[in-house]
Amino acid sequence: MLMFVLRRIGAGIVLLFVISSVTFILLYVGSGDIARNILGQQATQEDVALKKEQLGLNRPLLTQYFDWLGNALHGDLGSSWFTGEEVTSGITSRVAVTLSLVIGAIVVTALIATVLGVWAAVRHGWVDKVVQAVTILGFAIPGFLIAVGLVLVFAINLQWFDPTGYISFTDDPTGWLKTVTLPVVALAIGGIASVANQVRGSVTDVLRRDYVRTLRSRGLPFNRVVFKHALRNAGSPALAVLGVQFVGLLGGAVIVERVFAIPGLGDIAVGATSQGDVPMVMGLVVAIATIVVVVNLIIDLLQGWLNPKVRLS
Amino acid sequence: MFRRLPLAGIAATVALALAAAGCGGSSSGGSSSGGSKTLTLGLIVPATTFVAADMNFANESPYGQAVYDTLLKADTDGKVVPSLATEWKYNDTKTQLDLTLRDDVKFTDGTAFNADAAVQNLKRFQVGNSPNKSFLVNMADAKAVDPTHLSITLKQVDPGFLNYLTQNAGMMGAPSAFNKPDAKTNPVGSGPYMMDTGNTVIGSSYTFNKNPNYWDKDSQHYDKLVLKVYNDPTAMLNAVKGKQINGAKLINNDFNDQIKSSGYSLVEQETDWTGLLLLDRDGKLNPALKDVRVRQAINYAFDKAALLQAYGKGYGTVTSQIFPPTSPAYDSGLDSKYPHDLAKAKSLLAEAGYANGFTLAMPSTTRAGTALYPLITQSLKDVGITVQLTDAGTNFIPDILAPKYPASWLALQMDPTDWQIINFELSPAATFNPFKYSDPKVNDLIDRYLKATDESAATAAVKELNTYVVDQAWFAPWYRVKSNYATDPKTEVKAQPGNAYPYLWNFKPKG
Repeated sequence: MLMFVLRRIGAGIVLLFVISSVTFILLYVGSGDIARNILGQQATQEDVALKKEQLGLNRPLLTQYFDWLGNALHGDLGSSWFTGEEVTSGITSRVAVTLSLVIGAIVVTALIATVLGVWAAVRHGWVDKVVQAVTILGFAIPGFLIAVGLVLVFAINLQWFDPTGYISFTDDPTGWLKTVTLPVVALAIGGIASVANQVRGSVTDVLRRDYVRTLRSRGLPFNRVVFKHALRNAGSPALAVLGVQFVGLLGGAVIVERVFAIPGLGDIAVGATSQGDVPMVMGLVVAIATIVVVVNLIIDLLQGWLNPKVRLS
Repeated sequence: MFRRLPLAGIAATVALALAAAGCGGSSSGGSSSGGSKTLTLGLIVPATTFVAADMNFANESPYGQAVYDTLLKADTDGKVVPSLATEWKYNDTKTQLDLTLRDDVKFTDGTAFNADAAVQNLKRFQVGNSPNKSFLVNMADAKAVDPTHLSITLKQVDPGFLNYLTQNAGMMGAPSAFNKPDAKTNPVGSGPYMMDTGNTVIGSSYTFNKNPNYWDKDSQHYDKLVLKVYNDPTAMLNAVKGKQINGAKLINNDFNDQIKSSGYSLVEQETDWTGLLLLDRDGKLNPALKDVRVRQAINYAFDKAALLQAYGKGYGTVTSQIFPPTSPAYDSGLDSKYPHDLAKAKSLLAEAGYANGFTLAMPSTTRAGTALYPLITQSLKDVGITVQLTDAGTNFIPDILAPKYPASWLALQMDPTDWQIINFELSPAATFNPFKYSDPKVNDLIDRYLKATDESAATAAVKELNTYVVDQAWFAPWYRVKSNYATDPKTEVKAQPGNAYPYLWNFKPKG
C-alpha cells in the first residue's frame, strides 16, 4: 500500500511539472501585451517598454520559466503583477471558499444521487422513469442558468438567501449558510444527474448477480442485501464518477463564483488569465493541480477499501 | 460502509463536512449593505495597487480616495477647491505654483503630513508606474519651503496641473510606509478611511473603517466602507435586486429598467465618446486617409442616430466632436456637423479620386460585442469603402498604438480639462495620435492656448482648435456614451464631471 501511495505521489509531481510548463507557454502565447494590460491605454510606448523590462518579459521564455520554477520550489510563488498581492496569500484566502462550495456540492451530490440511483434500481417502473427524466433534465440545463434561476426565486423573490457575496463560517455560521446554499445547489445538480445514473446502472447490474440471489434465498432482508452487499459492490464505479465530478466542479465553480460574486479561486482565475497575470495564474494552476492529485489519491484509496480486487491489481 | 446510517447522522455528516470546509474560509466583506453607517459600493474593476505613486484613477478612484487625501479637490462642478492645500497661487509666468498646506494632518501610522512628505509623493508619482504619471511630466521640481509651504516649478505652462493634483497625482501616502513589503495591499494615508485587511479579499471585496482622527469630519459620512467588485453584469444586477449595495457603477445599460424597478435611482453621465479614430492622417499605411475629403466622407457615411439606437440602446447624444459639453471648447453646432448623407460622402470620395472606393484595414475586438463591426462594415460599404477587419485579440489597444492600423473603432474617455484632451488625442505627442501626426495649425492653436494670458483668450483658442479638428475630420465620432450610476433610496450622490466614478465624499445618506 505504501508503494502504491508513493507511486501516486511521484506521478502527481511529474503531472504538476508538465501542467506548469504547458500553462507557462500557453500564457505567453495567448496573453498579448501584458505590460500594456497593466499600464492601461493611456500609457506611452516608452512606459510599456520600461514595464516589460521591470517584469523581465524581455528575457528568453526558458529563462523566465526556470526562474519561476526555482522560486516555486523554494516556496516563493511571487506576487500578482496587477494587484501586488502575494500569490500564496491570494490563493490561501480563496481556496477554502472554493473548497467549501465544491466539497458541499460533492456531499450533496453523493447523498442525493445514491438515494435516487438506488430507488430507481430497486423500484423500477415509473420511479425509474421519473428518476431518469430528472437526471436528463439535470444534464441538459446549464449550471449558470440554474444559478440565475435559483437567485431569482430564492434570493430575490423569497429572500431566503443572499443573492451575491460570501460570508466566512467563522464570522457568521448562519450568514455562511445563506451565501453557500444556492451556489452549492447550482453546482450539484449536474453532478447528481451523472452520479445517479451511474449508481442506478451499477445497482441494477449487481442485483442481478448470483450472490445476491443466494443471499436472498438464505433469508436476508432485502434492505440489508441492497445496502450492505449490493451498494458496496456498486459503489466502486460511482466513486470513480464522483472523483471526476470533483475535478469538473472546480471548473464549474468559475462560472458559479462569477454569478454569485463569490471571492473564490474561479473568480480570480478568470481575471488573472485574461490579464496575463503570469505569477497568479501559475500559482492557481499549481494549487488546483495539487488538489486534483490529492483527490485522485483519496479516490484510489477509497476504491481499494471498497473493493479488495483493486488493491491486488 | 452503508450499515445503519440514520438520517440524522447523514444530516450531521453533511453539516460537519460543509462546516469543516467553511471553517478555513477567509473572511470577506459580507453581503449586507448594512445600515446608514455602512456604505457598500459596487465597482467594475479591482484596485490595481494601493501604492499612491502607482495608482490608477477613473473607475478605481474610490480605492484611492478611501485612504488617501489629495493636495486639492474638485467639486461637482469641476471647480478646484482646497484639501490638504488651503491656498495656492501661480507666479506671473504660470511656471511656479506655491501651495500652503494644512498643519493638522497626520497619516494613520501617526507620522505628520508636511511639505516634505508632499515633495516625496510628487516625485515618486512622476517616476512611478501609474498610467497617469504623465500628469506630472511638466513638473521640473518640487521643494519644501517650510513644513506648511510647498513650491512646485514647471518646465512649461500646464493648464491641467491643478486638476491633476485633485486626482491620483495629488494623492499623499505616508513616506514612512513607502518601503513596507505589503505597501501594494495595505495602504497608509491620511484619508477618511483605513483599510481593514482582515476583512478584505484583494480583487473581490475591500473593507475600510472610519479613520477616527480624520481632519475633515464633514467629508466622513459613514463608519464603514465596503467596495465590492462585480465582474459580471448579472451578479451586479442581482446585488442591486437583493439590495446588497448602496451604489453601483453599471457596466452597461442593459438592465437599467430592472434596476429602476428595484427602487434604485440612476445618475446619468456622459463620460466617453465613441466612433472611429482616423489616425493615419499622413497616409502612411493608407494613402486615402491623407485626403481630408476622404475623412469627411467617412463621417458622412454613418447614420449616427441609428447607431446610437442599435449599438448604444439610445443611451447617449449624437455628436461629431470629441470635446464634452462641460468643456469651454464645446460648440453645440458641431454635434450636427456631419449628418448622415451618403450622396455627399460618395461625391467627396469621387472628388478625392476614390469614386470606386478603397479598402480600409481596422482591428476588431470581441469585447465590442457582435453587433458593432457588421454595422461599421455595412455603413462604409454603402459609400464604397471595404472594411478589412483583423481580430487583434488581447492586443487590440497595443496594435492601435503601435500603430498597426490606419483607423479603428474605440470609445475614448472625455477628460475633465481641455489640456488633458489635447494631450490624450490631439498634440503630436498624444497617446492616441500614434502616427505622431503634426498639423501646423493645430500646433499653433495649442501654443496660443498655453500662452493665453486670460481665460477668454484660452477659450477662444481651444474653441478654434475644436472646430478645426472637426473640419479636418481627425475622427468620426458617432455619439457621447451615457453611462449610469445606480443609488439605492437611502443614498444620494452627484456625478463627477470627467470621472467615471462619483467622488467618494459626495456619497451621503439621504435625508
